[in-house]
Amino acid sequence: MKRKSVVIPGFGLTTGVTLAILSVVVLIPLASLVVFSAQMSASEIIDVITRPRVLSSFKVSFLTAFVASLINAVMGVVLAWVLVRYTFPLKRIVDGTIELPFALPTAVAGIALTALTADTGLVGGFFANFGIKIAFTRIGITVALVFIGIPFVVRAVQPVLEKLDPAYEEAAGVLGASRTRIFWKVILPELIPAIFTGFGLAFGRCLGEYGSVVFIAGNMPFETEIAPLIIMSELQEYDYSSATTIALVMLVASFVTLFLVNVVQNRNAKILKGGS
Amino acid sequence: MYVELKHINKHFGNFKASDDVTVGIEKGKLIGLLGPSGSGKTTILRMIAGLEHPDSGEIIIDGKVINDVPASKRGIGFVFQSYALFRYMTVFDNIAFGLKIAKKPANEIKERVHELLELVGLSGLEKRYPSELSGGQRQRVAFARALAPNPQLLLLDEPFAAIDAKVRQELRSWLKGMIQKLGVTSIFVTHDQDEAIEVADEIIITNRGRIEQVGTPYEIYSNPKTAFTASFFGQPSIFKDYTKFRNFESIENIDNAVVRPEFVKVTKKTEVQKYSKSAEEGIVEEVNFRGFGIELRIRVNGVVLTARRSFDEPKVEVGEKVDVFLYQLFVTEGNEARLLKNQSLREPVVVI
Amino acid sequence: MSTVTQSSLHRDTKGSKIVRYSLIGLSLLFVFLMLILPLITVITEAFKQGFAVYSKAVADDYTIKAILLTLEASFFAVAINTVFGLCAAWSLTKFKFKGKKILATLIDLPVTVSPIIAGLIFLLTFGRQSPIFSLLQDADIKIVFAVPGIVLATIFVTFPFISRELIPVLESQGTDEEEAAALMGAKGFTIFRRITFPHIKWAFLYGVVLCAARAMGEFGAVSVISGHLRGKTNTLPLHVEILFNEFQYVPAFAVASILVMLAILILVARSVIEHKGRKK
Ligand SMILES: Nc1ncnc2c1ncn2[C@@H]1O[C@H](COP(=O)(O)OP(=O)(O)OP(=O)(O)O)[C@@H](O)[C@H]1O
Ligand SMILES: [Mg+2]
Repeated sequence: MKRKSVVIPGFGLTTGVTLAILSVVVLIPLASLVVFSAQMSASEIIDVITRPRVLSSFKVSFLTAFVASLINAVMGVVLAWVLVRYTFPLKRIVDGTIELPFALPTAVAGIALTALTADTGLVGGFFANFGIKIAFTRIGITVALVFIGIPFVVRAVQPVLEKLDPAYEEAAGVLGASRTRIFWKVILPELIPAIFTGFGLAFGRCLGEYGSVVFIAGNMPFETEIAPLIIMSELQEYDYSSATTIALVMLVASFVTLFLVNVVQNRNAKILKGGS
Repeated sequence: MYVELKHINKHFGNFKASDDVTVGIEKGKLIGLLGPSGSGKTTILRMIAGLEHPDSGEIIIDGKVINDVPASKRGIGFVFQSYALFRYMTVFDNIAFGLKIAKKPANEIKERVHELLELVGLSGLEKRYPSELSGGQRQRVAFARALAPNPQLLLLDEPFAAIDAKVRQELRSWLKGMIQKLGVTSIFVTHDQDEAIEVADEIIITNRGRIEQVGTPYEIYSNPKTAFTASFFGQPSIFKDYTKFRNFESIENIDNAVVRPEFVKVTKKTEVQKYSKSAEEGIVEEVNFRGFGIELRIRVNGVVLTARRSFDEPKVEVGEKVDVFLYQLFVTEGNEARLLKNQSLREPVVVI
Repeated sequence: MSTVTQSSLHRDTKGSKIVRYSLIGLSLLFVFLMLILPLITVITEAFKQGFAVYSKAVADDYTIKAILLTLEASFFAVAINTVFGLCAAWSLTKFKFKGKKILATLIDLPVTVSPIIAGLIFLLTFGRQSPIFSLLQDADIKIVFAVPGIVLATIFVTFPFISRELIPVLESQGTDEEEAAALMGAKGFTIFRRITFPHIKWAFLYGVVLCAARAMGEFGAVSVISGHLRGKTNTLPLHVEILFNEFQYVPAFAVASILVMLAILILVARSVIEHKGRKK
C-alpha cells in the first residue's frame, strides 16, 4: 500500500485500526468457515446438499424470498411514488414508518405477525373465513419477508424519483405522450436499475432472514422449513459440518445476488454520470 | 533566486505530471503559472507547498533544500482553488486558525485578524460563516487566512476561477495591488492568458508537465521561444505554407506559421494603404461582432486568417474583396519558434 | 406498477384523481396492515391481562437481566463500531492507496451474511472444534455461549452501520479543508475535532442510532452463539423467543413491547437527526 495524501495525518493509525478490527470481527471468522469446509470432502458436501429435506428447504427459501421481493418491488414503487409525488395527511409518519422493519427487532416482528395471522388473530381470523391459512404456511413466511424487505425497495427508488427532472416528463408531455406512455416509456426505464437494486437487496436479506420467519413458519419439514432454520437445527444437534455446508450454499447465493446488484449499480452510475 | 525547482519529476501512476521542471523565482515577484488544463500547474504548486512529494529533484526556498521539510514548517501560505474555507468556522476563526495553532496569545491573534480584515476590506463580517459570503468575499477570506501567519511565500491556485467575470476583473487588480503592497513573493496558477498578462510580473508557461518558457508578459507575448508559446496566445491562425505570402524570408523545413489577429491589417479597396504594394487580396468569409470591435475571417492565398477592425473604420461585408497585409508571423520548427517580419517594412517608405 | 398504469389511462383530472387516491389508499392500507398493525398487536397482547400482569412480566428478574445484557452488548457493539467507523471512514476518504476498493467491499460484507451464518462463523472460530479452543480454555476465556461471543456477533451484524453513514459525507466534502489545516500546522486530532467532525456530526449520530437499534434487536446471530442460558446469555429478543415458545404469550409480548418502544424511539430520533442534518 502506498499512501498518497502527504500532509493529512493519521493514515497509519486509522488504516491499522481498520484492518485490525476488520480482521478480528470479519476476516478471521469468515476464513474459519472456509477452513472448516475445506476439511470436508466434495462427496460429503454433495451428500448434505442433496438430502431431500435440505433441498426442499432451499426451494422454500428461494421461492418465498423471490415472491416476497417481487411483491416488494411493486409495493415499493407504489409507496415511493406516493411519498414523492403526492401530498396527503400523515405523509411524514408514513415515510418514517417505512423504516420500522430496520428498527424493530426481527423476533418482535415475528411474534407480532404470527399473533396477527394465526387463526385466532385479527387478520388470520378474517382469511380463515375463506379457508386461507396464513400463519404456519408458506404464505406466512412470505408475509414476514415482505415486512422485512419493504424498506429496501422504497429507499432505493425514492431518491431516484426525487431526482428525476420534471422537465424530462414535461418534455414528453409536450410532445403529446399520454400519462400511461410517459410512465412506461420515460419514468419506468429510469427507475428500473433502482428497482432492481432494491429487489436484489431485499432478496439477499430475505434469503438469510431468520428472526421474523422462525415463529410464523411453523417449521414443518418439506413444507415450511427454510434453510437458515435447518442450519439452526443442525447446530442444535452439534452437526457442524452439515450446518457449514448449507451455510456455504446460502452464502454463495447472497454474494452472487450482491454482486449482480453491484454490477447494475455501477452501470447505472456510469450512465447517470455520462448523462449529466 | 528565492524559490528554485531543480529537475523535478513527478508521476501519478504512469502519467508524468512534471517532467524535468527547472525554474527559479526572484524574491518579491508575483509569478503567474500559466498553461492549459492538465499541464501540471497545480502539481508544481502542491509540490512547493509540500502537499505532494516530487519523485526526484530538489525544491529550494531561500537557499535551503526543503524536500524533507514538512509542509507546515515551510512558512508558505496557500490559497486553494476551492478556497477550502473551514465551513463550520466563522470568518474570524478561519483567519485566526493558523495563529491559534501556532499558540499565539489571544490579544495578538485578535489584533492580527482585525488588521487582516481591514486589509482585505471585510471588517464587520468576522462573525459570518463562509456560506454567508459572496464568492469574492470568500476569496478575500482565503487570502487573509493564508496571510495570517506571515508567510514568506504565497501560493494561489486559480484564485479567480470560481468568480464571475466582472468581479474577477476587480479582484485581479485588487490582488495585484495587495501583493505589491505586502511585498510577499507569490505564485498564482491560472489558465487564463489575459489574467496572467495583466497580473503577473513574470510568467511561467507550462505544457504537458514541462516548462515551456519563462519571462515577463511582454517577452512571452512578443517573443515566444517555443511553438507551444507562439500558438498559445490570442486566436492564432495556424497554417503550413507561409511562402505564398510575399515579402517573407523563406526558410527550409518549417512546420507551421502562426499569425495572430493583430499581425493582420485589413483595408477596403477604397481605403488608403501604406503598404498596398505588398498587400494580398482576400475575400471576407465571416464578419462577427465582438465586444472589442469587429472580427473578420478572411480567405487569403488559400488560408483563412482571423483579423480585427475597429468600429470607427468603414464596414466590410461578407464576400467583399479586401487588401490583407501581414506585418509579421511566427514560424515553428519542431518545438522552436522564431519571428519573421514582413520585409517590405524595412524598405524606405515613400511619403506622398 | 400495474396499479399505476391501469388507472393512469385516464388523462383528465378526474381520472388522475382516481389514480392518486387509489394509490394513496393502497399505500396507507399496506403501511397499516404490514407495519402499524403488528405494533398495535404487540401492545394489545401485552396488556391483554391488565397492567399488573404486564408490569410483573417486565419487572421479572430474568427480564431485567436480559435488558442489562442487551444494553451491555449494544454498548460494546456501538463503541467498537464507532472506533472502527471513524477510522475506516478517515482512512478510506482521506487517502489513496492500493486495495482501497477491496477494503470498502469487505467492510460492507457482513450485512449480506445471514444472521444465522454470522453466529455460525463465530462458533467455528471460537467453539469446541476450533484449533484455538484449547488455547482459550487454558487461558480460561469463554467466548462461545458467553457474553464475549454475543458482543462479537453483534459487532459483526452491525459492522458497517457507522462507516457507511460517514463515508459518503466525507467523500463529498473532499480533503481541501484538512489539507489547509495541516498546512498551518494543525495536528491530526485537532484537524479531526475542529475541521472534520462538524461535517459528519449528524451522519455520525445517525449511524450510532442505527447501530444501536440493530444491536439491541439482533436475534439470529445471538441466538446461535448464546446457547440460550437463561439469566446468563439471554438478551431481550432471545428472552422474547423463550417466553413465546413456552406459550407464555402475555409475558412474551410484554417484553416485546419494551423493544417496540425502543424501536419507535429510534425512528423518532432518526427523523429528528435527519431533519437537523438536512437543515445544516
Ligand atoms: N492525485 C492525482 N492522481 C492522479 N493523477 C493526477 C493527480 N493529480 C493530478 N493528476 C494528473 O496530473 C495532470 C496534471 O494535473 P494538474 O492538476 O497539475 O493540472 P493543472 O495544470 O493544474 O490543470 P487544471 O488547469 O485543470 O487545474 C493531470 O492530467 C491530472 O489528471
Ligand atoms: Mg489545477
